[in-house]
Amino acid sequence: MTPDAPIIELRNFHYTYLEGTPKASEAIRDVSFEIRRGERVAIVGATQSGKSTIVDAFAHLLRLAPDQVFYEGGDVAAPGYDRGALRRRVGIVFQRPESQLIEDVVGADVAFGPTAAGIGAEETRQRVEESLDALGLPYPEYRLRYVHALSGGQQRRVAIAGVLAMHTPVLVLDEPMAGLDPRGRRELLGLLRRLANDRDLTLVVCSASLSDASLLCDRVVVLSEGRVAMDGPLREVLREAERLSSLDITLPEPVSGARELRELFPDLPADVLTEEELERELIKRLDVA
Amino acid sequence: MLELQRNVIFGQFIDTGSVVHRMDPRIKLAAVFAMLVASFLINGFLGFAVVLPLIVLIQVVSRVPLAYVLRGSAFFLGFLLFILFFQVLFYPGEVPASGYLWRWGILSISTEGLASAGILGLRVIFLYYVITMLMLTTSLVDLTNGLELIFGPLQRLGVPVNELVLVFVIAIKFVPIFIDEIERLARAQTARGVPFDEGGAIKRARRIGRLLIPIFVGGFHRADLLSIAMHTRCYRGGRYRTKLRQMSARPSDWLILALVVVWMLAAWLV
Repeated sequence: MTPDAPIIELRNFHYTYLEGTPKASEAIRDVSFEIRRGERVAIVGATQSGKSTIVDAFAHLLRLAPDQVFYEGGDVAAPGYDRGALRRRVGIVFQRPESQLIEDVVGADVAFGPTAAGIGAEETRQRVEESLDALGLPYPEYRLRYVHALSGGQQRRVAIAGVLAMHTPVLVLDEPMAGLDPRGRRELLGLLRRLANDRDLTLVVCSASLSDASLLCDRVVVLSEGRVAMDGPLREVLREAERLSSLDITLPEPVSGARELRELFPDLPADVLTEEELERELIKRLDVA
Repeated sequence: MLELQRNVIFGQFIDTGSVVHRMDPRIKLAAVFAMLVASFLINGFLGFAVVLPLIVLIQVVSRVPLAYVLRGSAFFLGFLLFILFFQVLFYPGEVPASGYLWRWGILSISTEGLASAGILGLRVIFLYYVITMLMLTTSLVDLTNGLELIFGPLQRLGVPVNELVLVFVIAIKFVPIFIDEIERLARAQTARGVPFDEGGAIKRARRIGRLLIPIFVGGFHRADLLSIAMHTRCYRGGRYRTKLRQMSARPSDWLILALVVVWMLAAWLV
């Protein structure tokens, strides 16, 4: 396999929940895109745009028809495809993961994935320790705590640790920042960046807001009503700030700031990722004036 | 993968805007009651044969897809068949010697046993069908109001009608929520390596067992939240609650009720 081959590919993916019943609802109309190894992709879109359905499709958690979703070139819906192996490679942190903890005790929950994958006890223990430590939950202190007694933010970290411990080459996070306080967000963001660098992960982040995704990802796929509305490098997509906001996508603060300042400086670029960058661009224009 | 909702119709409401849907809920409940009583009174295959066209009529007029109803009832029908099988094998009634088709110790298959199991099966199916269609064609709001008005007079005797109806309706309302929750948990566990979409029936059943505790705990939590939410909006039960929408029965509703009652009488008396 060439290093440039897509690791995940969606080809004319369409999906209807409860198809053939009176409760049918069409979630995905037509979506095609590829994700390459090591890429960091943000999938953004307003609610009901189909993000979560796509996340489920990556690990074949839907009733998929064949020829739509491919992992390393293999059709995941083909008869006889090893779904277990697929799920050991694509790790998913669902929306509100704290409500999806399986075991009662922190250590056991984090060990759930590796154990189910048939990893030996000693290595599982190591992975649990390393994952909990990585999320700022020291292993000796937390491993025997009850998950229900933890705060919401801690529960979320346990859930993420549970997926990290599976050592999947692909990590998918659905709205990882929703409901976290600013400090929790900052910490999680730093952690994810570190992980993506250290472990050479392929990272997919779903969100209704570009402000977190813009700090994590270098490519953005914008969804709207079950179709791909935009797809490109982060800066290129940010330049179309008007269109993004018309699609109900929250812009990063510097970008929305730049958008407002355009009344004064019509040539101010919208693809400013940080406050510093915005400041520099402004100073440049102030000097000229 | 799991899409349990495909196979569960209990507690669902399918709005097709048909005549059945638009009936005054009180009258509809009265008609359902007439059919329930009839299902116990009818005592012969001929009677149920008379009922059949009415069922077909309800199915067609309501415009609820038949395939959907059947798929949702598959489990129930399978279970019923299972029970009836034993009903035939262990038929306790009197059987003339000529009635036995097969006999082994206390187990037997007799024409009498088959007939009694058949009647019982039809009775249960009729009952099940009527209740299912009531749910599928009546929104919870209508159902609540209808029940409250019908049983309202009991309130004077000290029966907490309002509260009982509320509990009943909330119970029904929780069914689809629970199913949703089960699906979500099953997806989460599948993603972490315990597949719910593979393996034999027993293996699957065992895995479902793992979900029960979180569902239970979640259910209590949800009920707690709901009661707090109702308190904050100043809910208080009892007969002093007023209705936003007054119900009014049209002559056509009474006509339908009369039709159902006469039909049931006919089925009983044939």
